[in-house]
Amino acid sequence: MFYIYLVILAAVLALTVWVLFDTKKFSLQMTAAMVIVPLLLRLLMIK
Amino acid sequence: MSQEFWLFILMVGVFAAGCFALKWPVSVSMLVASVAGALAGGVQDPVRHLVEGTFGYVDTILTIATAMMFMTGFKDSGALEALTAAVIKKFNKWPGILMILLTFVIMVPGMITGSSTASVLTAGAVVAPMFASMGMTAVESGALISIAAILGMIAPPVNIPAMLIGGGIDMPYVGFELPLILLTFPLAIVFALWFGWRKVRHVDRSKVLASLDFSTLNQYGGWRLFSPLILIFVLMILDKAVPSIFGLGMPLIFMLCTMLTWITGKRFNLLQSAKKSIEDVLPVLGILVGVGMFIQIMTATGVRGFIVVNALSVPPALLYVMIAISIPLFGAISAFGSSSVLGVPFMLALLSQDQIIAAASLSLIAAIGDFMPPTALAAIFAAKVVGLEKYGTVLKKLVVPTLIIIVYAILFIVFSKQIRAVL
Repeated sequence: MFYIYLVILAAVLALTVWVLFDTKKFSLQMTAAMVIVPLLLRLLMIK
Repeated sequence: MSQEFWLFILMVGVFAAGCFALKWPVSVSMLVASVAGALAGGVQDPVRHLVEGTFGYVDTILTIATAMMFMTGFKDSGALEALTAAVIKKFNKWPGILMILLTFVIMVPGMITGSSTASVLTAGAVVAPMFASMGMTAVESGALISIAAILGMIAPPVNIPAMLIGGGIDMPYVGFELPLILLTFPLAIVFALWFGWRKVRHVDRSKVLASLDFSTLNQYGGWRLFSPLILIFVLMILDKAVPSIFGLGMPLIFMLCTMLTWITGKRFNLLQSAKKSIEDVLPVLGILVGVGMFIQIMTATGVRGFIVVNALSVPPALLYVMIAISIPLFGAISAFGSSSVLGVPFMLALLSQDQIIAAASLSLIAAIGDFMPPTALAAIFAAKVVGLEKYGTVLKKLVVPTLIIIVYAILFIVFSKQIRAVL
């Protein structure tokens, strides 16, 4: 179950990164960047 | 005045300046307010605290993100439109029941995702043209969609404000279903009849029926189209009833059912749909990250303790007045933030009441924050989906319902023990 959880986390992270680079709206880019931080650290199991 | 008081004023002031004056997103304003609070409060290692704060709601973020993927997939497969068409076709002759069921349809995405925005942007957008064709004005439609959205956000199975309040006092999110049903569904019925029934009963609904598109429903059939939604509720019940076998967790349930939407209805681009869902829900996810940082810094600087102590020292006579005023007002920052920052201390002051009913009622009052400008997420998005340029007229329509919701929730807290005795 732990690895399935990580796969779901990776999928959400990948989609957020996609939005970050695809959108032209600066506010959405900032928000995406904020959301990426905890997702990435959790995926790397740093925290 | 204590240092904590001034720090609180500074953080709220920076946040308000970011939102109102500089028109920054709520999440970014929260980040800047947290940085200001950390620097002014002399927090050691502020970056570590800020990053630590972002982890406060990672699990909630995953649940909301996957739930939104499901709702977008359900909509893209044609099932949401078919569900609305099926409800109108079946209950066309009973306008009261029809309005109540359409209000429930708007609530479904909020119930699943825990986000009023999801309700407005998915089911609200589908139902809005139908409300218009049934004779409701844009303002009335916007108001009913907003109310249904916040009631959906509070209705079970997913209620994030209740989870946040419970998390603050180490109370698991268990046993909330019945109190939340009693808190939300009667109100939904009342407001559906209030806003909709008076108008709809005088309208020739045969024209509405003729304008509906039944092609998807006829092509795939109701059982097949709605099976992902049915499966979600079945898996959620099994998840609670037999967790040792079906303990899949909400994100996995939503992911499985999202994939199911791809084969049960119209074919759509699953990747584009998932990306669109994340794009739509990112502001809400950002707010959760921002709230996490905001609360972490408030805790590190002692501001949170200051609020808790002051909430606990409020005279009992004033407690309910404070709850009724301060929690919705703080919702102008964020309904989630309000639940965490004010909901938890007020919950501590209400420990003598039935705690589950009290927390559920506080979550309903906190949800009113989604009507509070400038963020007013529910009202702003509802005005957009009904085609209004400004949301002020929708807000005016929401004043009386807001007061009714607050009084209803307060009554639930006051009589929580008596209600528990009946349940």
